[in-house]
Amino acid sequence: MFINRIARRTAYVLLLLVIAAIFVTPYVFAVMAAFKPLGEIQSGHAWDLPKNFTFDNFTTIFGEYHFGDYLLNTAGVTLILAVGQVGFSFMGAYAFARLEFPGREAVFWGYLMMLMVPNVVTMIPLYVMMSKAGAVNTYWALFLPYVFGTPYTVFLMRQYLLSIPGEVIEAARLDGCSELRILTRVVVPMARPIIVTATIIAVIFGWNNFLWPLIATDSNALQTLTVGIANFNSNFAAQWNLVLAGSLVALIPMVVLFVVFQKHIVNSVNVSGASR
Amino acid sequence: MTTDTGNRRRQRLTAYGLLAPSLFGVTVFLAVPVILVIAFSFLRWNLLNAPEFVGLANYVDVFRYEGAGHALWITVLYVLLNIPLQTALALGMAMLMNRTGRFTSVVRVLCVLPYLATPVAMAVVWQWIFDPTNGMVNTLLSAVGVTGPDWLNSNMWALPVVAFANIWQYVGYNMLFFLAGLQAIPAQVYEASSIDGASRFRQFLHVTLPLLRPTLLFVLVTGVIGSFQVFDTVYVMTKGGPGKATTVMNQLIYTSGFQGFRIGAASALSVILFLIILAVTIAQFTYFRKRTVYEMV
Amino acid sequence: MKRLRMTAVAAIGALTLSGCSAAGWGLPSGGGGKVHLTYALWDANQQKGYQRSIDEFEKQHPNIQVTIEQVPYASYQQKITAQYISGNAPDVFWVNTPWLGDWVTGGLLTDITDQVKTANIDLGQYYPSLVKLHEKDGRLYGLPKDWDTIAQYYNKDYLAKIGVRSVPTDLSWNPVDGGSYLRFLKRITTDTSGRNALDPKFDPSSVKTYAIASTNDPQAQLLSFFAMNGGSMLPAPFAKKSSLNSPQNRQSLTFLTRMLQQAHVAVPAGQTGPNGDDTNAQTLFASGRTALWQTGDWQTLGLSGLSKFKIGVAPLPAGPKGRISVFNGLTDGIASNTEHPKEAWQLVQWLAGEQSQRLMGSGGYVWPAIEKLDPLFLDYWRRKGIDLTPFLDEAKGKTVNFPVATGLAEALSDVSIALGPTYLGQSSPAQGLRDAQRILDYRISYTK
Repeated sequence: MFINRIARRTAYVLLLLVIAAIFVTPYVFAVMAAFKPLGEIQSGHAWDLPKNFTFDNFTTIFGEYHFGDYLLNTAGVTLILAVGQVGFSFMGAYAFARLEFPGREAVFWGYLMMLMVPNVVTMIPLYVMMSKAGAVNTYWALFLPYVFGTPYTVFLMRQYLLSIPGEVIEAARLDGCSELRILTRVVVPMARPIIVTATIIAVIFGWNNFLWPLIATDSNALQTLTVGIANFNSNFAAQWNLVLAGSLVALIPMVVLFVVFQKHIVNSVNVSGASR
Repeated sequence: MTTDTGNRRRQRLTAYGLLAPSLFGVTVFLAVPVILVIAFSFLRWNLLNAPEFVGLANYVDVFRYEGAGHALWITVLYVLLNIPLQTALALGMAMLMNRTGRFTSVVRVLCVLPYLATPVAMAVVWQWIFDPTNGMVNTLLSAVGVTGPDWLNSNMWALPVVAFANIWQYVGYNMLFFLAGLQAIPAQVYEASSIDGASRFRQFLHVTLPLLRPTLLFVLVTGVIGSFQVFDTVYVMTKGGPGKATTVMNQLIYTSGFQGFRIGAASALSVILFLIILAVTIAQFTYFRKRTVYEMV
Repeated sequence: MKRLRMTAVAAIGALTLSGCSAAGWGLPSGGGGKVHLTYALWDANQQKGYQRSIDEFEKQHPNIQVTIEQVPYASYQQKITAQYISGNAPDVFWVNTPWLGDWVTGGLLTDITDQVKTANIDLGQYYPSLVKLHEKDGRLYGLPKDWDTIAQYYNKDYLAKIGVRSVPTDLSWNPVDGGSYLRFLKRITTDTSGRNALDPKFDPSSVKTYAIASTNDPQAQLLSFFAMNGGSMLPAPFAKKSSLNSPQNRQSLTFLTRMLQQAHVAVPAGQTGPNGDDTNAQTLFASGRTALWQTGDWQTLGLSGLSKFKIGVAPLPAGPKGRISVFNGLTDGIASNTEHPKEAWQLVQWLAGEQSQRLMGSGGYVWPAIEKLDPLFLDYWRRKGIDLTPFLDEAKGKTVNFPVATGLAEALSDVSIALGPTYLGQSSPAQGLRDAQRILDYRISYTK
């Protein structure tokens, strides 16, 4: 009985280690490869530790190619996008959840309908609109479509705001607080968890977004990491040292984000899933 | 009384002010494009020459010439390769790791890590792992005396490899929903069935699975919606090739719209994809109510 | 929240400071006194040659500054078109023939007919068919810059080893019995015991070296073999209906797919590429798996660096209508919405002129479109040990121009995809050509 339990426990641990390995090894091998010269990647095994440890791959992609630009563009666009999306969505969500105004139901239904529109459907018209407006291949094109808030984020935040007790807001209102003051001093602090969730969702979206930036930019100086990597990959196929180093530039910040906000992210997955 | 109406007016103004930015965004960047994509789908237009109204011709042409039928088939095939396996794995992992303990929770967290991985960057890493000469998969295969195929250049293997990369990316994410679902099942239910002497497998089949049905449906439906829109991994790993072996709908929309600049055809394809996704979404909303009932248990 | 917004402002500031970002925000970027031109091309190797040419041009035109922008070939057409639509196209850019139809019809390229007349440019110095290639309705859209034909590279070392001194230059093929060409291909295909395919004891299941790879590639294979049997892909430039599915083309395709395969002289189609295309053709030849490689002269540089054996060049075998190679050449287009049409024209004139083409020819980069300069290119490669005369002989002999039509670039790749099953032996040449013609007709008639 006792031995049986140990055996089962060992099997469980081993199984979990295998699972963990499946999810972690691609990262580990890619990290190791990014510090190897090309010859070593071609001749050795993926699981060998770098013998001739080198930063050359990174100095090359930042020095000779545009990875510095890509990184900055992505960071900038993600930041603007996240701040705008979360801020404006929050404002809209508060109006829907807590304020009375004519047309509220109708507008909210409009948002709900737009919630069903997949991203890809709007790509063609967005491109035509942006190119007619002369915005293609500018930073504007990269964040304008997302910066004013999305129906999804509005919906998510509205659901949360509905659950906070109305008495607090009423009390503040009776105290003669202005609506804006109520929003910033009372509601925002209470809504912190959902703001964090929405920010994480927006950051992941902004950082990983690919199809639209691919369409909307064509000059190297404006491209985001995802587009830069995809182009770099098709132009420098087989130069695995450089291509993998480039990919790591995009992956590592997300891994760091994950490590730091791990609990929040797991929660936000649940929140966003449950309310969808 | 006067202050009350004043309050209400102030509230109304505040509301409109607060709503304005997101309403602007939703109108200009979602509602207008949706109307435009439908309008464009009736045009023959390459952005260089003048547009020409062709009625429903694009909807016929995309099937006759652009390969919409083939792309739909590839997309469905992709969904079939992706969803059942991903869902089964996610459920299995959730069952396995539905317990407390530090070790288990660390592994659980590691499984979610790929969810954040930039799909484009990860696709590059998978491309390397499946590279015919330098890749780890073929190195391992040759160690046991098997010559591995040129995975991504093979009509047979390219799509499964792309599906695999996506399964890897999202299985942990889906596992979280199953974990939440499992934890919502009251322990008494299991105790009752243990007293009845049900085996573990029967317990799973007759107790766990029915109670997980809402979660299962949710995971399936969102997974299907997402899979119908797959693009990043396909574009990076195969660009829809070899030939058209991995040309999913989204890849076809991209090629006809932004390589051939056939705006009308690409719009018609978008509308078709939209209708399919809409149908799946409506199915999701139909089941949504059932789900909330279970959650209240 | 406030702090975040501050960071956002700071980030915008940082973005604005980084490099060419004024344009990134759609703001006009200040320029000096010089006119600044962008010149787009895709070939990184030729870029070196053109940089030298441009340096010379800038010396002679001190008011013009030219930046070369290298755009990868795979995304070239798409990128130039998109840039043109949004008003950011390069002023001058390489034009390959598959895109010519769309770009002429769509008004993207400047009509230079009058400028050529005013500048008194002697069009007679170029190959006449190259000038014609860039014409529509009597108007000219580009000056010829270089050219290419199709011939067969061969592995000299291997042929010497099996006792063949060189590839005869008088080989001919026909769709009935394959002709002397097929016999020769059999002669140079050997199995693992060293027997060639003419030997009755030859073992087709253990071929060591194949004569050739028959590749599903319009330019390197199909177009020349169609022409040599009296067929064609398009009846005329800018045609709206193709002539692909003709009895002559069915014969050519049967020869290329069925006869070569059945004689076991060609690599099994699945090994050349996923659709029987040429993905692996270069590797197959460079690794000694095939004795010949039929392709265009643009492969010379890459091949000279790759192969460990001596390379010879043989002309195409002559068909029932004689020896006919597909003839193609690039031109430099001027974007019709360039802000500097005058300076762009000066650059184009220079690139099509004798000084620049002399530089490119003698540097071994491309065959100059100015006929009398061709010996320069020939000499360069002779010194490197490769005799490219067959390519030149073909250019001066019978040729057929690369087809021109709207929608052609995508159409060509669709034609290859449609012919894939035929190459792989899963469907008949007739069926393949029917499918290919259907999609080709749709593509080339999409734009009026």
